Amino acid sequence: MSEVRLDNVQGNILRGYRGGLRHVRHMMLAVADPAAARRFLAAASRGGSVDVPAITRAPHWGAADPPACFNIGLTHAGLRALGVAEAMLATFPREFVEGMAERAVKLGDIGDSAPANWPAPFDRPDRIHLVATGYANSPGTLDAMQAAASRAFDVLGVRDGRARTERDVLGSDRDGDNLPARRVFFGYADSIAQPRFAVDGHAGSSSTRPLQPLGTVLLGYPTQLEGVFFRVPLSDELGRDGAFNAFRVMAQDVSAFEAYLDDAGEALLRLEQAGGPPLLPVDAEASFDRPIDRLGALREAVAAQMCGRWRNGTPVAVSPFHPLPAGSRKAFNDFDYRGATTCPAGAHIRRVNPRDGMIVQRNANYARQLVRRGTPYGPDFDAAQPDDRERGLLGNFLCASLGAQYEAVMSDWLNLGLSNPDVTGINDPLIGTNTPEMSVFDLRLADGLYHHLRGFPRFVTTRGGSYTFLPSLAAIDYLAALPG
Amino acid sequence: MADGGWLDRFVDSLPTRGWFKFISNHLVVPLWAWREPTPRLPGGPRPATAPGDGLQRMMNLIMPLKEKTPIGRARVAVAIGQNLDALYTGLDNVGTIHFARFVIVDNNLCMMSVYDGDFDSYVRDFIVSIGNVFDAVLQFIEDADDVVPTRRNVEKFVAWVHARDVFQLPDFATDLFALQAAARRPSADGSPRPLTALPRAVILQLRANRNVSLGSGFRGYAGFSAAQIRQRLGIGW
Repeated sequence: MSEVRLDNVQGNILRGYRGGLRHVRHMMLAVADPAAARRFLAAASRGGSVDVPAITRAPHWGAADPPACFNIGLTHAGLRALGVAEAMLATFPREFVEGMAERAVKLGDIGDSAPANWPAPFDRPDRIHLVATGYANSPGTLDAMQAAASRAFDVLGVRDGRARTERDVLGSDRDGDNLPARRVFFGYADSIAQPRFAVDGHAGSSSTRPLQPLGTVLLGYPTQLEGVFFRVPLSDELGRDGAFNAFRVMAQDVSAFEAYLDDAGEALLRLEQAGGPPLLPVDAEASFDRPIDRLGALREAVAAQMCGRWRNGTPVAVSPFHPLPAGSRKAFNDFDYRGATTCPAGAHIRRVNPRDGMIVQRNANYARQLVRRGTPYGPDFDAAQPDDRERGLLGNFLCASLGAQYEAVMSDWLNLGLSNPDVTGINDPLIGTNTPEMSVFDLRLADGLYHHLRGFPRFVTTRGGSYTFLPSLAAIDYLAALPG
Repeated sequence: MADGGWLDRFVDSLPTRGWFKFISNHLVVPLWAWREPTPRLPGGPRPATAPGDGLQRMMNLIMPLKEKTPIGRARVAVAIGQNLDALYTGLDNVGTIHFARFVIVDNNLCMMSVYDGDFDSYVRDFIVSIGNVFDAVLQFIEDADDVVPTRRNVEKFVAWVHARDVFQLPDFATDLFALQAAARRPSADGSPRPLTALPRAVILQLRANRNVSLGSGFRGYAGFSAAQIRQRLGIGW
């Protein structure tokens, strides 16, 4: 197996851009004129054009970050629209061919999250051919990228009668913007744990977590599963160095989440005042990283156990009763769930990434890992003046197999809890398809026993999304050179 | 006309009359099938919306033998028998399997199993766990050459199993209409079907899917995963 050629890999697969670039825009594009679309791809791959943004590649940037980044993903319909032959289209895996909306039940996109309720442009998934993503420090740069894209594609989700380059389009309504301190909505520090790869300049943080094989996220390389290779689409040469992506627009009901924490905190305070078993040891609040009263500490502990991390990123498996002072991300990533862990089995991060902990599917511990790139969208939330405006996360979940990784996590671990018999049949507390009548989460009390927390609603609703293929640069050149 | 008249009795007796059965099977049903194309429906349980529906799902995998003779059947019996320990250890390692057994019916090797969770994940975990052993069995199975070795043909093998897992008629009979409409897209008109159309829908489906499971099956302890049962019995999961 030869070394990866980083120059052939799109930059957003092995690297997150959020550290240096504040704003993100995902543009949903339709091919109207295949020849124009192919010229755009050729120029984007070649770079150096004043009219077309250049595809950002994976080689390490060195000291200076670029002022903007640009990457593309294609849907199956998009590959067809560009003129890919049927025999080549048939080389793609079924879940990608069907698309995210067709896989809704498996992904838990039911009820309010069902594709029938997705707003434009996600109400017409067949129209989305290409998802182009711009990253920059100014919205003006993103507007320029969108203007360039609009000369080669139809930009979907644009409101009727408005010029495509105006701010009043879906693109800018749903621009992703970093929140302070790399938080996401619900207040958690994010992007702490990512798979690490043995690639020059891409080993991630200084974590000591085990390195993952490149086949976790890139096509054409050995995977975490011994001897197992996922099918490389198009051809071995063209598909290699590509990846698949599940792009999701996930609205987060921050008001409901904070209101539920209020209720849960008060109920737990009443319980311990009545002589019931406490959630936190006496005076645990004195060890918090900031002044906080008992009620505040209890509601924060509920938030921490539901997620598996305190809101500043401290793992509950490391510190079960209070957050540690915000330190290095390495300290917040170097842990596992071996033995008698203090992290509840139902906690969100333990479900999606069981690390070395014992799970039912014994071969799957690291086999379903995803590279996650998420950016918040919508107005920041002010707890003193709660509102119901739409806000949430623009999530990208990258992997070599949407079926074996993304869908397996979503269907078996998040919404069925199959990885651990203590939570089987119970949905994820943060992003699961919960209803107040049915929801339950087992809080781990200070004495090690459990308390059933009930009555919480669904906090996250899917508002749209798309499965895309992130082609290698060689594959982009192939697409750009298609005839017809 | 009052019930019990001669015409009623005659019509009621039609299904038992040989000439009527002959005309139905050889003329009427093919005509219906031509007028109302009914695609073969995929096998196995359908994706579940309620967590409890995702547990104890049934697989009825029917794999026609290459060699349809007593010797051919013996060959596959030996292949299973020689690898039985490895197969059972592998099935145990998958972690989500309640029961699994291999049966020869006519000239088919059948694998019947009860598993938890998503079908694709089950088959993939099966490959990871015992793909190399199962490859030895697949050499005796029809149309399996393209999926061996299974570890190099993961997506193809999942689709291959899906195509040979028998279709499960819905537990609520009228749900068949929605499944058929979805399979006929985009030509289906989506209008509601009268209840009286159900027998015809079933006949046309049984014409397209010769082997079916009649519903999703009985569960003596519904709603528990294999790991939950093992945990409660104290035998480790």
